[in-house]
Amino acid sequence: MSKWWLKYIGLAMVFASGSVMAGKPVFELVIRDHLFYPAELVVPAGKKIKLLISNEDDTPEEFESYELNREKVILGGRKTVIFIGPLKPGIYPFFGEFNMKTAQGKVIAK
Amino acid sequence: MLLDIIIIVLRETLEASILISVLLSVSKRQGVRFTWVPASLLAGLVGAVVYAISLGEISEWFDYAGQEVVNAGLQFTVYLLVVALIPVQWLGLARSKHVLRNLMSVIVFVALIREGAEIFVFYSGFLQKEGVLLKALTSGFVGGAVGLSVGAIVYYSLAMMRQSRVKLFHGAVLLLVAAGMVLQATQLLIQIDWLSSGAPLWDSSWFIGEASVIGQMAYAIFGYEATPSLLELCAYSLSVVGIVSVAALVIKFEKTVTPFEEYIK
Repeated sequence: MSKWWLKYIGLAMVFASGSVMAGKPVFELVIRDHLFYPAELVVPAGKKIKLLISNEDDTPEEFESYELNREKVILGGRKTVIFIGPLKPGIYPFFGEFNMKTAQGKVIAK
Repeated sequence: MLLDIIIIVLRETLEASILISVLLSVSKRQGVRFTWVPASLLAGLVGAVVYAISLGEISEWFDYAGQEVVNAGLQFTVYLLVVALIPVQWLGLARSKHVLRNLMSVIVFVALIREGAEIFVFYSGFLQKEGVLLKALTSGFVGGAVGLSVGAIVYYSLAMMRQSRVKLFHGAVLLLVAAGMVLQATQLLIQIDWLSSGAPLWDSSWFIGEASVIGQMAYAIFGYEATPSLLELCAYSLSVVGIVSVAALVIKFEKTVTPFEEYIK
């Protein structure tokens, strides 16, 4: 049985990953001791941004932001990717839902 | 912290609780015995544990998009099953009881996987911290109990309705929950850049903030979004139109077959 369609899936994935790689600025965020580092992330306005979040705690955290419309669980010791924007200039708070008291931060779009 | 936990668990429980209550009500009206319920609840919980355990690995699929892809897949599945459920429950044909029971079992199973997994992951964070776990479980129990109570209210409100009206209410609640799921799933696909994002069409957070308790409950029940983009609005409208047109077709079909059914009586 020939798997000719696999080639197309492979090709599509290459294109998809290519489009992701194509010039979207990457910003990193670290979760440590239930705190976000940096707590204030300055990003360019009007651009889609790739957010790379690493959870260095050994407990899970949920990155959440009502203003950014984002919500994602990040297990302990893992990292993840979220895309945000394009954003209008402004302040967009985010928090760790599982440790809301300490895990607070904001994205500042300029 | 206590209130936070109550709200987290309540939020996860509420949607499933309302969905299951409506299905129980459908089951009762259609004369399908509740024997399907325990098995699908159990299967859903097992599924949730399996999903929670594999979440770390799944999250890394598709260049860290696995979690969104699986969650969105589960939500779209529930939507499609609800669309399929409407003709089956409205027409209420004798032979459809079997189909109805199976459909409802799968809906409960799929819905519980996602909601349950999040609760399990949340609690896994407390396992290392002794002493806190008990407190967290107690608060979680309160949240869960409130969620189940809302479900019970929905169930008994539906039970008190007249037969002629209840069908419409079943459809309406299912529509709200299912369209909300499509909206959330769309948002997940935007978050991983599989769908393009746009500027928000409006901002209704001055009216109902998403962070407020009402906002969170509205989010859990029908996917309330204070700043939706055009794509999200389209996805929501399409899913509403989908259910409404299936329902309209069923009503039309029902009218044409009723005389025949009366004839054979």
